[in-house]
Amino acid sequence: MSAWRRLHVKVRRAHGLFTSRRVTEQYTWMYGPSTLGQNLSTGKPLRNDFFKELEAQLAAMRKKAADALPGSSWSPFDINPNLPPERADIVIIGGGVMGWSIAYWLKQKERVREGVKVIVVERDLTYSQASTVLSAGGIRQQFSLPENIHLSLASADFMRNINEHLGVLNEDPVDLQFNQSGYLFLASEEVAHIMEENYSTQRQVGAKVTLLSPTQLKEKFPWINTDGVALASYGLENEGWFDPWSLLNAFRRKAMSMGVIQCCGEVTDFKYTVQMPKGLEYQMVECAIVVNAAGAFSGKLAEMLGISSNPKDTIAGTPVPVEPRKRYIYVVHCPDGPGLDTPFLIDYSGMYFRREGLGGNYITGASPKEADEPDTSNLEVDHQFFEDSVWPRLAYRVPAFEKLKVTSAWAGFYDYNTFDQNGIIGDHPVINNMYFATGFSGHGLQQSPAAGRAVAELILDGNFKTLDMRGLGFRRIMAQEPILERNIL
Amino acid sequence: MLKILIPTLLLIPTSWLAKAKWLWPTTLLHSFIITLFSLAWLKNTTETNWSTLNPYMATDPLSSPLLTLTCCLLPLMILASQNHLAQDPLVRQRIYITLLVTLQLSLIMAFAATELTMFYVMFETSLIPTLILITRWGNQMERLNAGTYFLFYTLASSLPLLITLLAFQNKTGTLSLLIIQLLGPIPISPYVNIIWWTTSLLAFLVKMPLYGVHLWLPKAHVEAPIAGSMILAAVLLKLGGYGMMRLMLILSPLAKELCYPFIILALWGVLMTSSICLGQTDLKSLIAYSSVSHMGLVAAAILIQTPWGLTGALILMIAHGLTSSALFCLANTNYERTHTRTMILTRGSQMILPLMATWWLITCLANLALPPLPNLMGELIIISALLGWSWWTIIFTGAGALITATYSLYMYLMTQRGPVPNHMISMNPSHSREHLLLTLHLLPLLLLVFKPTTIWGSAY
Repeated sequence: MSAWRRLHVKVRRAHGLFTSRRVTEQYTWMYGPSTLGQNLSTGKPLRNDFFKELEAQLAAMRKKAADALPGSSWSPFDINPNLPPERADIVIIGGGVMGWSIAYWLKQKERVREGVKVIVVERDLTYSQASTVLSAGGIRQQFSLPENIHLSLASADFMRNINEHLGVLNEDPVDLQFNQSGYLFLASEEVAHIMEENYSTQRQVGAKVTLLSPTQLKEKFPWINTDGVALASYGLENEGWFDPWSLLNAFRRKAMSMGVIQCCGEVTDFKYTVQMPKGLEYQMVECAIVVNAAGAFSGKLAEMLGISSNPKDTIAGTPVPVEPRKRYIYVVHCPDGPGLDTPFLIDYSGMYFRREGLGGNYITGASPKEADEPDTSNLEVDHQFFEDSVWPRLAYRVPAFEKLKVTSAWAGFYDYNTFDQNGIIGDHPVINNMYFATGFSGHGLQQSPAAGRAVAELILDGNFKTLDMRGLGFRRIMAQEPILERNIL
Repeated sequence: MLKILIPTLLLIPTSWLAKAKWLWPTTLLHSFIITLFSLAWLKNTTETNWSTLNPYMATDPLSSPLLTLTCCLLPLMILASQNHLAQDPLVRQRIYITLLVTLQLSLIMAFAATELTMFYVMFETSLIPTLILITRWGNQMERLNAGTYFLFYTLASSLPLLITLLAFQNKTGTLSLLIIQLLGPIPISPYVNIIWWTTSLLAFLVKMPLYGVHLWLPKAHVEAPIAGSMILAAVLLKLGGYGMMRLMLILSPLAKELCYPFIILALWGVLMTSSICLGQTDLKSLIAYSSVSHMGLVAAAILIQTPWGLTGALILMIAHGLTSSALFCLANTNYERTHTRTMILTRGSQMILPLMATWWLITCLANLALPPLPNLMGELIIISALLGWSWWTIIFTGAGALITATYSLYMYLMTQRGPVPNHMISMNPSHSREHLLLTLHLLPLLLLVFKPTTIWGSAY
């Protein structure tokens, strides 16, 4: 983006083929404790990079030469350069973090350069409705299913070493702002035994969690009101939150540098091949494999395959049980709130909150009851929900939050798996060349690096190599055996 | 000759007048009958070597195997294209068959020509239907690029050939093959000699292709539809070889010094292109580079101008024609099912289509020159002839044979063995049409084991 902007600037004020650049002030990109990570200025980048400049300069030179030479710039190819190519090996539908993660891992695992041709199709490049960027960005290992714990653990490891994986030469390093402040689950008397069982599963798999009694809890976090809390589970490492947009962009930048093609368009039809229109133009893309990573809209996409026309109790008629569910997130400002070591707290009543930034802001929300699921036709925020359901629970748990101000709010979709609220990773039983990586119901972002790797292994190696995700496949849906998480949000 | 040409010509009205339901079976049967008749050319009884003589066309032991190969290929092309053209509109199907027939006609006339002018005209004519085939029926955007490369490489190199032929006609008064084989060395000034030699052979070296000018071949082969790939690999490359063999008769005393750099280039090309094969991800691209590798050997053999060299070259040309065409057909059966040519995504086919795996095995073994197939015969004779020319060539040819074996087996193992990907579990079973196609490729190859003298050429 910035290179393009720079080129634009150059064209406007170029005196010759090379222009001079202003040397700017010092800028530290070391991961200091006070770094904000984000550039506050929107002007020129703060460092001089000769090689990035070189690319842009050469491109400008070439353009200048082409304009100066005689001959028209018409070419019989490229009628519309935004259309996807006519054929590709793998088409990934959905340009969220899951789709780009799969694209990255596919390119990472091909053994020779340009081994597989991958396209990622995204219908809205502003990501205005995408679940990825509207997410609260938390990552935890406190699940009850070993598969989920493995996925999150592997993803946390990936994100801790993100620059080894997703660093691109000559570009800025990736900064995920991964705050490893941990998750804090609070359990009441009735569900404390479930928390203990989950704790032992988590420790067995290798997550670093600990159980705290109410007194220990009060000692560690004095701002908590421990009434009603029988047990708490606190993640010590690899848990916390990060910036989803940075992760998405890091995956995208790296994947595109490895040769993945990004197309803006919507898939409207499968005619043994994928058909994608953009406006009124459409392009048939002939491909070998399709990956459904469309998030909240995966169910609708799978409908295009005509699954619903088959009888319900046959294998061919097994629907993809993913639908969008709207969830609200409210940003509140409370100057006397909990301090910098606030974990991502999740109460047994369904309320959650976490610290956002260093200015006394917090992000909070709650899961609505099954009966009052909000309407999913738009992303309008219901502030009454905050007043009725979130604030009372928030103020009960953390008394300091009795005095707060809601500064902002947004809504996002969960790709909610109505069957058992856990991800579906694997190929469809009947449509053999369609793979799914969807239905994560709120914990997709945190599992995206590992889930992407799992799908890439499935496609390129034939079965899972590093983590065994067969439990998360389509089989459980066909056999109607749900694998439910206990204590989900 | 007319008994082959007129039926081939009339195949065009057949393809336009046949009813939709009977289009493909009719044209198939018709072209099979033509093939059957063309087998008669293989019998050579005259002492002058030229038979079926008429003022414009004739066959001799050099051209008759190539002619039979060409006629044999038309039914195979029709058989191979039937499936992927089934969803095209009827008119497009008819045009396709017409193009194939026009190509066939121009190739028959090229190989059977007695005048070099006619040969040249037909050589150029064969470019047009091939170009149309590649650019109109290819699968990807890159086909336009491929068509351009294909057309202009050949055109640019064959224009000097035209001038050379005209100059030759001026000097000696004739361009008839029957006469120029009896002429002695042509008196030309020493500097023009080199230009003369190069321009005569450049067109054919590009067509063969020689290693330095081979860039059009991987592009054209990969982007062409199956029939295009088949005819390109099996016959059009051999046009280059055939042209070289005819023209070197008139270039004879010059050849001893001037052939040196081209032989080195050809042998180096054998090594280089075989190595490139090992690193290819696209199946058709691998087979295309393997064609370049084999043709490098043929080019080197023709350039040394010994009887064994010419014999070996002809045998390898025929055997490679059948083998390469069969490989492209196999790659196409894979492509029609999985819609991808990437080898990493189409593995483990042996578990799913075991009989096709048999054909894969036989064809890959033929490609790596397994005895007693004529591929080995050709390669062995060529290697021996080159050895007689210079001992050092054994390094290139030996290493080349080794790497050829490596990539042929690699191709077999990558496509047939390995874990079966999930998306290939429910593929269509092999059609009997595909089995027939491959049998008709491999059967002549196996029969030639028993009577290789049919394809030994006039040096025998």
